[in-house]
Amino acid sequence: MGSTTRLAALVQMEFFRFWRLLRQTIVPPVLNTLLFILIFGFSLGSRIKEIHGFPFIVYIIPGLTAMGVMNNAFSNTSTSLHMAKFDRSLDNLLAAPLKPFEMVLALVTGGIARGLLIAILTLAVALPLLKQPLFSFWLTLYFVVMQSVFFGCWGIIGALRAKTWDNLATTQTFVITPLAYLAGVFYSVTILPPPWREISLFNPLFYMVDGTRYGVLGVHDAPLWISAGMITGLAILLFAVCVWLFQIGYKMVR
Amino acid sequence: MNAITIEGIEKSYGKTVQALKGITLNIPQGEFFGLLGPNGAGKTTLISAIVGLVKPNAGEIRVMGCDIRKNPTEAKKYIGLSPQDININNYMPIGKIMEFQGGFYGVSVKESRRRAEELLKYFKLWDKRKAGRYQLSGGMQRRLMIARALMGKPKILILDEPTAGIDVELRHELWTFLKQLKEKGITILLTTHYIEEAERLCEKIGIIHQGKIIACESPLKLIEQHRLHEKAERSGAFQFVRSGSLEEVFVALTGRPIEEASKKSGEEKWEALPASLL
Ligand SMILES: Nc1ncnc2c1ncn2[C@@H]1O[C@H](COP(=O)(O)OP(=O)(O)O)[C@@H](O)[C@H]1O
Ligand SMILES: [Mg+2]
Repeated sequence: MGSTTRLAALVQMEFFRFWRLLRQTIVPPVLNTLLFILIFGFSLGSRIKEIHGFPFIVYIIPGLTAMGVMNNAFSNTSTSLHMAKFDRSLDNLLAAPLKPFEMVLALVTGGIARGLLIAILTLAVALPLLKQPLFSFWLTLYFVVMQSVFFGCWGIIGALRAKTWDNLATTQTFVITPLAYLAGVFYSVTILPPPWREISLFNPLFYMVDGTRYGVLGVHDAPLWISAGMITGLAILLFAVCVWLFQIGYKMVR
Repeated sequence: MNAITIEGIEKSYGKTVQALKGITLNIPQGEFFGLLGPNGAGKTTLISAIVGLVKPNAGEIRVMGCDIRKNPTEAKKYIGLSPQDININNYMPIGKIMEFQGGFYGVSVKESRRRAEELLKYFKLWDKRKAGRYQLSGGMQRRLMIARALMGKPKILILDEPTAGIDVELRHELWTFLKQLKEKGITILLTTHYIEEAERLCEKIGIIHQGKIIACESPLKLIEQHRLHEKAERSGAFQFVRSGSLEEVFVALTGRPIEEASKKSGEEKWEALPASLL
């Protein structure tokens, strides 16, 4: 009973922050996606032939959605935790009878909420182009949630390690964004020449983009069970790492 | 059962700074205990170890019988902490901060709202409930941290230099309030480097100096013991301090007055903030 109350308070706090910053957090990624669709879809896309039977502009929608989810889940948890470190309110949480699992779960829930919202908005904006319903609502939901967990946890780890805001921005700019591009947001990895195709398989983000594409369009490069297994395994693993870091008080306890 | 049991706590920061050098201390339930010592003595480090924010290199701490390292969630339930450094959330209105704090301690939403209102009113912050941290003066922030510490219905209230940087009037009000809390049976652990504060409030005082407890008695006993000690030495060296006071005891034990010992670390600047800031 006490646990529910504690968790509810933590989650509400996360949502409070998130709603307060809604305009800053929601509008840019959706605008970003729209720009991508305009630039790559309409202007350049007509020169590119269909991929897996879909026009280029439609083919890139799931990838763009996934990229928005990844970046936003990461931002949400990392910003929240970094701010708490910055104003030292993290110390107040750490001195309270909150379990590591509860703290991580609350942060990740915030990340999932933001990831979901971005996914819904992006798809809502892009679906008219698709001219068909989602291939599988539940698969799409599953992949979006799992990506949010993975990137939410990554954001937590990033914020714990980060000394400055720049450290977090660096991760997003130099690690997450390139990995997302290389994961096949704009192309099918099957069109890559030999070494690159195999190398792509080592990029965990490939499975997230591919799985999301399966959910939205019903086409994929890797078998579904591998994508689903990969993302589920990685999400659970990172979540466990986060709980462990809170347990040992990594960079939190002096 | 003791409210707080501390056994042989040692803590080093890096290789050079040995902040705590084997502290052993018992605080029975219901006691008003003062930890008196100059800046840098190790007060904050010890407090932080009690709530698990500092990991000691050796020793054990139990809160109401619960080991803080083995069973942290259980142990922390009993404690309300008002830390030395302001650690108030930057973006949340203080009414929300109070309500959520109740939630963190398992207090229901309804009860949290009621308590938050009561405490904010008591601490004269109710009008500011929609304001954020930066709309509060230093004294208000300090009051908020004490009010927040009480949200979880603590059995033990820990206050790390609660009166640092607040004006005399407020300080006296706070003293009265703390005495009332003590009457209600709450155990209070207060750190301070104001001798007067320790002397007026505390039933027992632990004098901490360079990471060690060098004396631990009631204020009266400390003074008495010291008098005998002084007679035996027939020393006239401490004439410049109030005779028969804790001040004198402190000088005798550490070799210099507490104010002087505190100033060395330069933290005193905070103290000198003009009252107009309130
Ligand atoms: N995070 C830290 N890193 C390194 N040294 C520290 C840290 N915190 C405190 N110290 C040092 O430990 C000693 C005790 O500090 P502290 O516990 O803050 O004393 P007090 O609260 O009595 O002023 C001081 O010498 C201080 O400089
Ligand atoms: Mg201190």
